[in-house]
Amino acid sequence: MQIDHDSILTLELPYRERLQVHRTVFQGGAGPRVAVVAGIHGDELEGLYVCHRLAAWLEELALTRPDGLRGRVELYPALNPLGIDTLQRFVPVFDTDLNRNFPGHREGMLPQRITEAVMRALAGAALVLDIHASNVFLREIPQVRINQESAATLVPLARQMNIDVIWLHGALTVLEATIAHSLNSRGTPCLVVEMGVGMRITPAFTDQLMTGILHVWQALGVLAADLPLAELAHQPLLADDSNVHYLNAETSGLFVPEVEHWTSVQRGQRLGRIVSPHEGGMLSEVRSPVDGVLFTLREYPVVYEGSLMARIMAVAAVEAAQ
Amino acid sequence: MKPPALLSMTAPLREDFEIAYHDIGGADAPPKLALVAGIHGDELNGVFVLSRLAHFLSGVVGGRQPGQRLNGRVIIVPAVNVLGVNTRNRRWPFDGTDINRMFPGYNAGETTQRIAHAVLELTRPAHYRVDIHSSNLDFEELPQVRLYEPHDGERGTARLFGLPAVIERPMNTIFTSTLGHAWRACGGQNFVIQAGQAGVVQPAHCDRLFRALVAFLWRTGILTGVALSDEDEEGQYFGVGHTLPLISEHAGLFISRCDVGRWVQAGDIIGQVYDGFAGELRHEIKTPAAGLLSGIRRQPLLYEGDLLARIQTRQAVAEGVDTYLHGQGQ
Repeated sequence: MQIDHDSILTLELPYRERLQVHRTVFQGGAGPRVAVVAGIHGDELEGLYVCHRLAAWLEELALTRPDGLRGRVELYPALNPLGIDTLQRFVPVFDTDLNRNFPGHREGMLPQRITEAVMRALAGAALVLDIHASNVFLREIPQVRINQESAATLVPLARQMNIDVIWLHGALTVLEATIAHSLNSRGTPCLVVEMGVGMRITPAFTDQLMTGILHVWQALGVLAADLPLAELAHQPLLADDSNVHYLNAETSGLFVPEVEHWTSVQRGQRLGRIVSPHEGGMLSEVRSPVDGVLFTLREYPVVYEGSLMARIMAVAAVEAAQ
Repeated sequence: MKPPALLSMTAPLREDFEIAYHDIGGADAPPKLALVAGIHGDELNGVFVLSRLAHFLSGVVGGRQPGQRLNGRVIIVPAVNVLGVNTRNRRWPFDGTDINRMFPGYNAGETTQRIAHAVLELTRPAHYRVDIHSSNLDFEELPQVRLYEPHDGERGTARLFGLPAVIERPMNTIFTSTLGHAWRACGGQNFVIQAGQAGVVQPAHCDRLFRALVAFLWRTGILTGVALSDEDEEGQYFGVGHTLPLISEHAGLFISRCDVGRWVQAGDIIGQVYDGFAGELRHEIKTPAAGLLSGIRRQPLLYEGDLLARIQTRQAVAEGVDTYLHGQGQ
């Protein structure tokens, strides 16, 4: 096994410095090539830690079972390196969401040059995982989000990912300028993982996802079939537009949850309150509209009218999956 | 009298807030014209001009402009992103979303989806609708009407503003989430105006824009009894394929002494790129084609691939590379 560190793009900055997009490449046999990308949003750090853990696992493999890597693994922990280094979600200076700039353009502005280089580097991979960590507001259970357009190829892969939810989005809501849509529409399968919360890492989620990633790589032939892996412990529930309920804040204030993330809730059960720092009373009660499971929970307490506080998957879907 | 509000909302700790608007000329009939600015809190030319226009039209209705008459209802929203204006923020300051990426909006959704929905509902009944922008902090636009896959009626009406340029651009994925695009499903005639640069008020551009809006009101018969200024030359129409973007292949410091609205010849110097450390001249930017300078970069710090200027050409040019630059300032 050979381990290389290189960069897929170098751009000059206005004053002396350079911007580089780095990757780590683990080259084993002639088997399939897979990639993990993270850090498209500079405030989402869970994927950076996943890359670290995968690198550690592969470095260990290089020492103990170098023939265990039958294919090639590429880790791209920070597609938005300036954003991560300056604690900004978007691309600094350009104030644009890198994940709305795909597939990019070689002669475009900096964000499009990054995305074009990323598309070129990832073309033809057997599987790309794009790891997101929600945002600073909401905590998400490990889940894969798939657009209906690519459900046939991606859902079977996602089922082995050791995640808790597969969320199928309607074809009408496809976000065309994302990395996932751009790769999938060009024939490179790309799964979008969402887990945890912005600006934090959640090591338990990392362990869970890593087990799933290694299983999928083994199934694809990237890892030797006889490599022992941790057991899959999570079977995903299937969410879609019909069974996901959104709880948006009725008024502005501080949202204080009263339940844990990823628990079963009953219709009418109180999930939390919106209160005011100025007075002792309650401004709004937050109750579940359905029997179901709470898979998104607000982490950031301040809410405006309309701020999302929770998402609940209705129980019928939960029962069907079991 | 307290002005009407298109949306009232609680805030976590400061006062409840509202997005107020002017409703001028009688509230019974559907509005003839709806004017919106300040969807981006840093685009101040439109805020200033619309507030001044509301003041002027209120004077007409109030009889303070003898001989002048308003023959229809006009809705004016000087600033949609109220909190963004007050905190000098382009986006909705709380969650960093861009209100002009939230259309058509949703009245039970996130805060900015609710704002978008309310703006659309207020302006939906109007016949003519205009959304005024001022590029961004980095770039200055010649006051111009922008059209995206317009119908022939809009092509004709766009000239009634008398702005220096009407520029047609191809549809793009960013535009589809904007107010300008959401209006297309509402019928009537819809226009996006770009004027100047964000972060500042530019009196010359504002005067031009003010005259353009008054001229539009007069030429559409909504306002009578005004005498138009004769200082504005006939505007130029540029179809799709007549926009030439100049893109930098160098990073460094960009210095330009050019003003927008100037006609340039092929080979004219638009600006220079300097090495910001060593001070040496690295590149002289020349325009490869003749045309009207419709936009110029004002931000000196330059990355590879940044937009330096736009030239509107008489001859068609390949426009492919420009498609991803459209979102700028919208």
